[in-house]
Amino acid sequence: MFDLPTQIDLLHVSAVILLIATFGIVVRRGFSDLLHAYRYQTIILAGVVALIAFVTGIWELYIVSALTLGIKAIIIPKVLFYVTKKLDSPIKLEMNPYVSLRISVIVSALLVTMSYFTALQLPISSDDTISVFLPVSFSLFFIGLFIIISRRKALSQIVGLLTIENGLFLFAVVVTHGFSLIIEIGLMADILVGVIISSILLFRMSQTFDSIDIKNLESLRDD
Amino acid sequence: MSENLFIIYVIFIFFSIGATLGLFTRGQKYNTYFTYIPSAFASFLTIVLSLTVFSSENIHLTFFNIQHLFDFEIFIDGVAAFFLLIIGLISFAISIYSLSYSKKFDDKKNNSALGMLFNVFIISMILVVISNNVFFFLIFWELMSLTSFFLVIYEHENKDNLKSGMTYLVMTHLGTGFIFASFILMYTQTGNFSFDSFRDISIIPQYVKDIAFVLAFVGFGTKAGMVPLHTWLPKAHPSAPSNVSALMSAVMLKIAIYGMVRYLFDFNAVDSSPDYVWLGMGIIVVGSISALVGILYALVENDIKRALAFSSIENVGIIFIGLGLSVVFAAFHLQSLSVLAFIASMFHTLNHSIFKGLLFMTAGSIHYSTHTKNIEDLGGLIKKMPWTAVMFLVGSIAIIGLPPLNGFISEWLTLQSLLAVFQIPSNILQVSLAFAILVFALTIGLSGATFVRLFGITFLSKSRSTKAANAVEVPKFMLIGKAILASSCILLGILPFLGMNLIVSAFNLPYMPSSPFETISIANTVDSNFASLMMPGVLVILTSVFVGIFVFVRIIGCKTKTVKYGTWDCGFGNLSEKTQYTATSLAEPLRRIFGVFYKPHNEINADFYTKENLYLKKSIHVISTTRDIFDEKLYGKTISGSLFVLNKIRKIQSGKVNVYILYIMITLIALLLFVGFGAHE
Amino acid sequence: MSDFFMLEYGLGILQVILIISLSPLIVGIMRKTKAKSQKRIGSGIFQPYYDIIKLLRKDEIVSDQSSWIFRATPWINFVTTTSAAFFIPTFLVYSPFGVVGDILLVVGLFALGRFFTMLAGLDVASSFGGLGSSREMMISVLVEPALFMTIFVIALFYGGTNISTIVSSANDTSILIVPGILFALIAFFIIMMAETGKLPFDNPSTHLELTMIHESMILEYSGKSLALMEWSHAIKQMILFTLFVDIFFPWSFVEQISLVGISLGILVFIAKVSALASFTTFIETRVAKWRLFRVSDLIAMAISSSMIGVIFFFL
Repeated sequence: MFDLPTQIDLLHVSAVILLIATFGIVVRRGFSDLLHAYRYQTIILAGVVALIAFVTGIWELYIVSALTLGIKAIIIPKVLFYVTKKLDSPIKLEMNPYVSLRISVIVSALLVTMSYFTALQLPISSDDTISVFLPVSFSLFFIGLFIIISRRKALSQIVGLLTIENGLFLFAVVVTHGFSLIIEIGLMADILVGVIISSILLFRMSQTFDSIDIKNLESLRDD
Repeated sequence: MSENLFIIYVIFIFFSIGATLGLFTRGQKYNTYFTYIPSAFASFLTIVLSLTVFSSENIHLTFFNIQHLFDFEIFIDGVAAFFLLIIGLISFAISIYSLSYSKKFDDKKNNSALGMLFNVFIISMILVVISNNVFFFLIFWELMSLTSFFLVIYEHENKDNLKSGMTYLVMTHLGTGFIFASFILMYTQTGNFSFDSFRDISIIPQYVKDIAFVLAFVGFGTKAGMVPLHTWLPKAHPSAPSNVSALMSAVMLKIAIYGMVRYLFDFNAVDSSPDYVWLGMGIIVVGSISALVGILYALVENDIKRALAFSSIENVGIIFIGLGLSVVFAAFHLQSLSVLAFIASMFHTLNHSIFKGLLFMTAGSIHYSTHTKNIEDLGGLIKKMPWTAVMFLVGSIAIIGLPPLNGFISEWLTLQSLLAVFQIPSNILQVSLAFAILVFALTIGLSGATFVRLFGITFLSKSRSTKAANAVEVPKFMLIGKAILASSCILLGILPFLGMNLIVSAFNLPYMPSSPFETISIANTVDSNFASLMMPGVLVILTSVFVGIFVFVRIIGCKTKTVKYGTWDCGFGNLSEKTQYTATSLAEPLRRIFGVFYKPHNEINADFYTKENLYLKKSIHVISTTRDIFDEKLYGKTISGSLFVLNKIRKIQSGKVNVYILYIMITLIALLLFVGFGAHE
Repeated sequence: MSDFFMLEYGLGILQVILIISLSPLIVGIMRKTKAKSQKRIGSGIFQPYYDIIKLLRKDEIVSDQSSWIFRATPWINFVTTTSAAFFIPTFLVYSPFGVVGDILLVVGLFALGRFFTMLAGLDVASSFGGLGSSREMMISVLVEPALFMTIFVIALFYGGTNISTIVSSANDTSILIVPGILFALIAFFIIMMAETGKLPFDNPSTHLELTMIHESMILEYSGKSLALMEWSHAIKQMILFTLFVDIFFPWSFVEQISLVGISLGILVFIAKVSALASFTTFIETRVAKWRLFRVSDLIAMAISSSMIGVIFFFL
């Protein structure tokens, strides 16, 4: 009888740590800072998955967690670091985002609240893991979306996209308790390829426009 | 029954043969024969089909089911058969005409496409008329619109044709949208796509039928060319090749009338509610305005085909007047008068198809020989193209409504229906309908002036340019096609009982004409004769008078000679073609009188020899224009207003990725909250 | 009974012959009256007959620019106007051919004649013809609504467009009881002046291009054709006068057929029409020809007059 409350506590704690790590992404400016924050978040995510595996006793989730660690925490940041180094744009900081950093934090908090609120409305409340992590996954999703909206530089938006993917991944794991392994592997491969392509494009963009400010894409509007 | 089915199959097969053969024998010498002879034969069979339906019972078949929602049903009753007769007759004449006319396009690459589209166009019109199911009606209606669109832009080298084609496409789809909405409304009430269920009048509430009718009226009216939705007609009909213009003006407009007749008299029991008085008055108002506007623009138009297109708008207006009167009379339970007005309207439909087809074919012949459509360049063609001139003369006399041709009969009937309004028990309506008489009389007068101008400037007097001077008569197939319709004009004029019998048996009306020499009589309230007309008698009188005066002149006058000499030129000599009246000057007094409508604009630039003497002019340049107030005021304002609003909306497209994703996020949050609140209840 | 029918048709044809043969006489009377009121002696009242016979015997000159329409128009004009005369009662209260056509047919026949005349004007490739056709177009377009409104008023009051019906019911009523008919009278009088080409619409005795309408369309005609055109113009005028007299001053029609009655009827008819002709000429001498675009105002007055007549009916 002493185990289960501790499990729930563990789950709660891990959820909170995950959220804090996500906030860590939101407040960073510099490119390498962003990538480091992302990496930490992913590591914690892998840990969360392992915890879920422990709690629910599904061994595939261990493999999933290991994969997450490997691909998302190591390979992808490496690729992005490589690209960032290659960029010869003079400013490697996120200057002047659309929504300033302090307000971003408040907005993120609001988004988390909204996610919790919405998740409470949904009639899926059977399982512990689900009730704890469902709102977290929603928050991750919306915060990632918010990052895409409020940043100017393309690299930040890629990070936001990855955050969204983390949120969706968590959602999938929590709701279905680790669907088939093959699909998981497929998803990972998908993400990897996506990131590689984005980084190539990022590189090309900086070469063409001499910056990776996406304001330049506006000139493609039909006017 | 089975032989009727057989005929339908054969018709369909022959049109398909015409279409595909035309496509495959491209470039060969007898290409046109392969395309148009099957279509002529199939049109003839259509006439046969409609006549058999008149004599026997209706054809009601279902071909195949698609899940009981979309049955391909055919229903050929008297109404459909009447319109099939119109389609068949006109297509028959035009197919023969096209045998020679399409040779004009021999040097174009896609000559075969004309034949194929021609056949598909006709078969789609036939299928629209015989469809009994909403789904298939709309499919074939759309097919009809699309093939006619392609035919309109057939000569796409001329950029104006492309623009008119686009206008036509937009407007016809606007109309189709309204028709679609109307049908969907009826569907939601009856739960069934078949027209049979629409005919069951008891289950649909009246206001729904009214709304559905108004929607259908707008939709079909756009296709028929009623004002103010008419602007596509004078652009589209002239741009198409002439045989297609004839088909579009003579037949396609009538398909829209078919839709309205179905809606008015088939789906609704018109005499069941007094609402219909206002619907009928609305139809009359729209019809009168269309008639007047159409003929006013036709009067000042120098392009033959555009003038004929405007004249089509006028005649459709007259048909609408008849239909509206029929509805109004029926709403007051004046059964016989309603029948009279309806016969007038349908007779005019038949007549207009015949003489408008004839006139467009003649315009095509003129274009074929002289390569110009501007009547200011023509003149003196009566000597170069005598038979074509006779055809155009017959068509003009018919369209003005002069005795003894068929136009007179239908206009006489419409006038009698208008004169009979004193039997309506409502004073306001009587006085307003008196205004309709005024407008109708004005249009008759104006159409007379228009066709005097068109025929006179084109065919009579001296040629105004070398193009006209070098014209030759057209090949004989074109003449045969026209002769078929011209003889129908004369026949229906002299023996109107043919037309009356057709209409009465088609629509099951309670009126019993029997013999060829039947008079059309109308009795008034004192039971004496209000009016009557016996056309064969008129013909007898005319011929006997002619014989009489001929003999008289022979007796009184002795042998006289006839000398040919120059026209009286006041002694100046050397009359050139420039001293003749031009088309613009012929219509100029009327243009000035109706100036409030035309807003004419005269710009005169004179070039002088010296500044001191302003009487000696080197040259004078006169530009004289009239404005199309519908295009400018109505459409121009609507378009600029919409563009203004749309430009404001365009700010949404900012080009920033962030903004787009913000839209997505907002939508998602909103959805989630919405679902959340919904689930909480 | 077939004898009776034969008699009827015979009398009907007699009415037609009366109209045709008396029309030049009316023209003569009008010319004489005009001359007398202008203090001239003028030509005799039978002069138009001599003119027609003379013209029928003369050679014709035909323009080399013209076509068969030019040659056919005089015949068509004559045939249509004479056929229209079949439906007009003169001394009988009805016309035996009334079942064949009504007043709308008469208007249609006149329009047919006018159509061909306008075409003939254009056929000769001269400015005079075009001028005449253009002005005639304008006036006829404006006169049509007035004419139809007047017919509407008359049909309302007298119960039909069949001329026999109109005349017989007019015979039974008095003009004082139906005041609306007065307005129709005014409108019809104006229309009559327009259709027959009298001042202020058109001057029938001028040949200046400034003033002529009808004359310019028939300027090129000579010989037989001119005779027919002049005669048909006279017949049209006669028909309109007869209609006016029948509808608005219809008393003294014969009810039964007897020789005395018929002769009396014919004499009364000639007297009435002559009186109307003189009256018309008197009006003509009081006005000058109006400017062309002022004419439309006059016709508008005719339209409004008949509209008032319509409203009177519904009161």
